[in-house]
Amino acid sequence: MNIFWRELKAGRKGLIIWSVCMFLLIVSGMGKYTAYSSGGAGSEVFNQLPSPVKALMGIGSLDVTVMSGYYALLFLYVELTAAIHAVLLGSSIIAKEERDKTAEFLLAKPVSRTIIVTSKLLAALVNIAVLNLVTLFSSLVMVAAYNKGTDISAEIALFLFSMFIVQLIFLTFGALLSAWMRHPKSSGAAAAGVLIGSFVVSKITDLNERLAVLNVLSPFKYFSYNRIVAGGGLSLGILILAILLAAGMAALTYFFYGKRELTL
Amino acid sequence: MSVIELNHLTKHYGKSRGITDVNLAVEEGEIFGFIGPNGAGKSTTIRTLLGLIYPTSGSATVFGKSCTEHPKIRKELGYLPSEVFYYDNMRVIDLLKYSASFYKKDCTKRIRELAEVMDLDLKKRIDDLSFGNKKKVGIVQGLLHEPKLIILDEPTSGLDPLMQQKFFELIAEENRKGATVFFSSHILSEVQKMCSRVAFIKEGEIIKLEKMSTLQENSYKRISMEAAAAIRKADFNLTGVSNFEANGNAAKFIFKGNINTMMKALAAVELRNLSVEEPDLEEIFMHYYVKED
Repeated sequence: MNIFWRELKAGRKGLIIWSVCMFLLIVSGMGKYTAYSSGGAGSEVFNQLPSPVKALMGIGSLDVTVMSGYYALLFLYVELTAAIHAVLLGSSIIAKEERDKTAEFLLAKPVSRTIIVTSKLLAALVNIAVLNLVTLFSSLVMVAAYNKGTDISAEIALFLFSMFIVQLIFLTFGALLSAWMRHPKSSGAAAAGVLIGSFVVSKITDLNERLAVLNVLSPFKYFSYNRIVAGGGLSLGILILAILLAAGMAALTYFFYGKRELTL
Repeated sequence: MSVIELNHLTKHYGKSRGITDVNLAVEEGEIFGFIGPNGAGKSTTIRTLLGLIYPTSGSATVFGKSCTEHPKIRKELGYLPSEVFYYDNMRVIDLLKYSASFYKKDCTKRIRELAEVMDLDLKKRIDDLSFGNKKKVGIVQGLLHEPKLIILDEPTSGLDPLMQQKFFELIAEENRKGATVFFSSHILSEVQKMCSRVAFIKEGEIIKLEKMSTLQENSYKRISMEAAAAIRKADFNLTGVSNFEANGNAAKFIFKGNINTMMKALAAVELRNLSVEEPDLEEIFMHYYVKED
């Protein structure tokens, strides 16, 4: 437990900064809603955009002139932010002992590597949960402030729940990379690279329906936001598969870290 | 049961050499010196013993158990790494408390005692500390839980002579209380003062393991002389003579063997001055290393 508390304390400042950024992102994002929803010429412009442009802007087939559609558009960037946080956190929390050369301190203590990984993953889990809750409450408050139509709190909760699963996937992926890669310093860059790659994949599949199979490479596409907006909720099958994916990557993190040759 | 046992311990990093077939047994209560030049494999041996890295073959145990299979055995062990790095945004006292939290006993009093002896300011932030002061943090951190086995990897680098003295007193005190000490160094004089046995490691292999007393008594003599005429090397071409240095009428060398043979050789030379001394460990040590080059 001491490692867990130590990690929470060490990550406190970073978490506060990420939370503030997330809050500002939502505040500034919602601030633009009036422009989208004011009707008249503004909405016409969106409707007449060619579909590839809409796809690239993240609009796709969403109706961004109503709150649920607009929130889905904003959510894309919110989720990307949370995913970056999760992947960097996952990779750094495992890699930092070697990066900062404190591994020789920690690993000479009477704790097993399994306990070290468990404590670190739990601390990281608390971090992503806090960021998720900050996002949830910022969204609920800001959406309520601008929404003149139907209440979408239930949809927002679903969006944020799906985001938590995506955060879990990226967190465990980052941790796995750090446990597996030989050089602890490069794991953060590699993790961020893969994340950007998966984001680009999600854009490509937006542009071309026939490439939809590639969506398996992009956790951003695991949950259909059109479906949430349409009131269809989350697919249970995909939910289970996504959780299994995160659990599998966590298990591999234990496995590789257990065998790891520490770079000292 | 030995406190530390290394059995045919081998560790290779890819193709580069680490250590090869290292065999050692350190007994309870002894101060064991582990001597070798930089890069000889001292830290590799210690890190494999601690379970920070895995052996290529062979085994390493502490109190009869492997650190990788039984990480809990490390609670009996205090380790001071050769280079100390700590979490930068912590104060010294926070780091020491964090360290103590792994041992499930109250170390507060002991931390205060050690900090006082080592003259360490507990309230400072670790990133503000000099190298020597960080080393002191490392020493306190390694001793605060009163371990039964203390492993020190080049402990004195960065400490001023006064602190080195205090540090050695501290280690001697722990040893008197029953702790076993494993001590790696490339500075021989400090090992000479403390250790009961010493192992020499060179290029990843143990080349000699000896009791300190044998090492010093092993009739190694340092002979220096001044003669009336120039001294030729041929005059002392006896087995057991090494490190021969002649400088005009003066010469010095290390001799191992029957002293009577040497006396006869010396008698053949017209001497102005002669001294026969116990060589210090450094000279014996150089002797080992130079011979094989």
